[in-house]
Amino acid sequence: MKIDTLFRHTREAFRSLTRNTWMTFAASSAVAVTLLIFGFFLVFAFNISYMATELDKQVAVRAFFQPNVTDDDIDQVIAQIKKDPAVAKVKFVSKEDGLRQMKENWGDDESFFRGLEKGNPLPDGLVIQAKDPQKTKALSDSLDKYSQISDKSYGEGVTNNILGISEWVRNAVFIFGLGLAILAAFLISNTIKLTIFARRREIEIMRLVGASNWFIRWPFFIEGSIIGVLGAIIPTAVTLVSYNAVLGILNADGAYSLFKLLPMWPLSMYVAGITTILGILIGVWGSMISVRRFLKV
Amino acid sequence: MIEMHDVYKVYGNGVKALNGINVKIDQSEFVYVVGPSGAGKSTFIKLMYREEKPTHGVILINGVNVKRVRNWKIPYLRRNIGVVFQDYKLLPNMTAYENVAFAMEAVETPHRKIRRRVQEMLELVGLYDRMNALPSQLSGGEQQRVSIARAMVNNPGFLIADEPTGNLDPENSWDIMYLLEEINARGTTVVMATHNKEIVNTMRKRVIAVEQGVIVRDEQQGEYGYED
Ligand SMILES: Nc1ncnc2c1ncn2[C@@H]1O[C@H](COP(=O)(O)OP(=O)(O)O)[C@@H](O)[C@H]1O
Ligand SMILES: [Mg+2]
Repeated sequence: MKIDTLFRHTREAFRSLTRNTWMTFAASSAVAVTLLIFGFFLVFAFNISYMATELDKQVAVRAFFQPNVTDDDIDQVIAQIKKDPAVAKVKFVSKEDGLRQMKENWGDDESFFRGLEKGNPLPDGLVIQAKDPQKTKALSDSLDKYSQISDKSYGEGVTNNILGISEWVRNAVFIFGLGLAILAAFLISNTIKLTIFARRREIEIMRLVGASNWFIRWPFFIEGSIIGVLGAIIPTAVTLVSYNAVLGILNADGAYSLFKLLPMWPLSMYVAGITTILGILIGVWGSMISVRRFLKV
Repeated sequence: MIEMHDVYKVYGNGVKALNGINVKIDQSEFVYVVGPSGAGKSTFIKLMYREEKPTHGVILINGVNVKRVRNWKIPYLRRNIGVVFQDYKLLPNMTAYENVAFAMEAVETPHRKIRRRVQEMLELVGLYDRMNALPSQLSGGEQQRVSIARAMVNNPGFLIADEPTGNLDPENSWDIMYLLEEINARGTTVVMATHNKEIVNTMRKRVIAVEQGVIVRDEQQGEYGYED
């Protein structure tokens, strides 16, 4: 397309957007509501998948040795486990390390453990990470063959629960969002219909003098996309501002640091980008509906 | 060249508008299409610029079978056919200049070529001085001349007119006819449906008379032949 033509189409699109101010407003509002819900969902989905991978990283098998094992036994078991191709990392946690960690976790109530250094009741242990976090259970089962290991555990269920919830939310939002998107596209198609109606003489003459179908269609597609972009601005801003606020609250209160959320950047870029693209898609979709019906050759 | 072979047109509501038309119009001819109201003149015209498709038969424009042309290619077919109507069909919020330029923009003519060509056309139709007037500020005859300038601005090989003088007084009608004759003299084929007895009988050209969808008469230097 020639640059002249592009300017002309854009000018036409803006002209009719400003001529039908109220319809433009209604259509972009519909897009805005759709995208607001979508934006929150997007932030949610990004964070859920982030949390899931973070948790996956933390998922590990904790194995504890029998109280009577020798250092040689321990070295031997570690060497054996390291040979397993499914194992990513093996870390030895001595009973002293274990006690120190426990004290840290209990914070102020540390006094409770004082004096335990002498007769430390904790066993020596290992922290073993699988290459594929999903295979942690299999890895844990494979430890049964070591008689030197008395007990083991892993964070079963946590990851699965998180993924399960996020999938459920995703489906619900998808169905709801699809309904809203259809409504928004319908409103856009009505706005475009008004434009087509207002320009039916122009269109008639364009066709008469041999304007190509695409020449006739373009302004309507641009009009639809502009409605989509207009409808994307507010939800993007609202989503990001509220997310920023949530981040502020969570970071201010260390107690919640359990929830590790994604930082504003680059999340804000993704949300703005995806929301805008979706707005444009809904806009073009809406204009296609009415253009197809009205410009049949 | 326009050729019709055994062309029939039945509208969706069952009206048989054309019933077996055979005709050949050569390059640079000037043809009047006459006949009573409802005879099928407008339908005949519409088939030529593919506003309507024939129900049966073949229409060739410069050898191209218009029935076979794909929908998306029709605009390119139309670029070689200028069309003029009884009611001018000008855009009311555009000046004479803009109305003519619009036809060039619509076919994506580069901007720098538009100005000169539009002025040239307005000069041809004698409206160079009124190029900034809106249609509402122009007389019927002037509006029709703008519409002819628009039809001719992309330099089509055919000019097709459906009762172009139907709304005009005799003086303005003659202005339009001299203009069409001039355009024809420059090599454009002109086909014009008309009810104007005086014009047909004075400016003698080929006359094709249509009645009830069939050609009943086809004469060079013909007469109008009806009493209305
Ligand atoms: N779009 C249409 N749908 C149905 N019937 C039509 C249509 N256009 C014209 N007709 C009918 O076809 C016949 C021929 O019409 P037309 O070609 O307009 O004749 P003319 O121009 O000679 O008056 C008339 O009976 C008219 O009512
Ligand atoms: Mg007619």
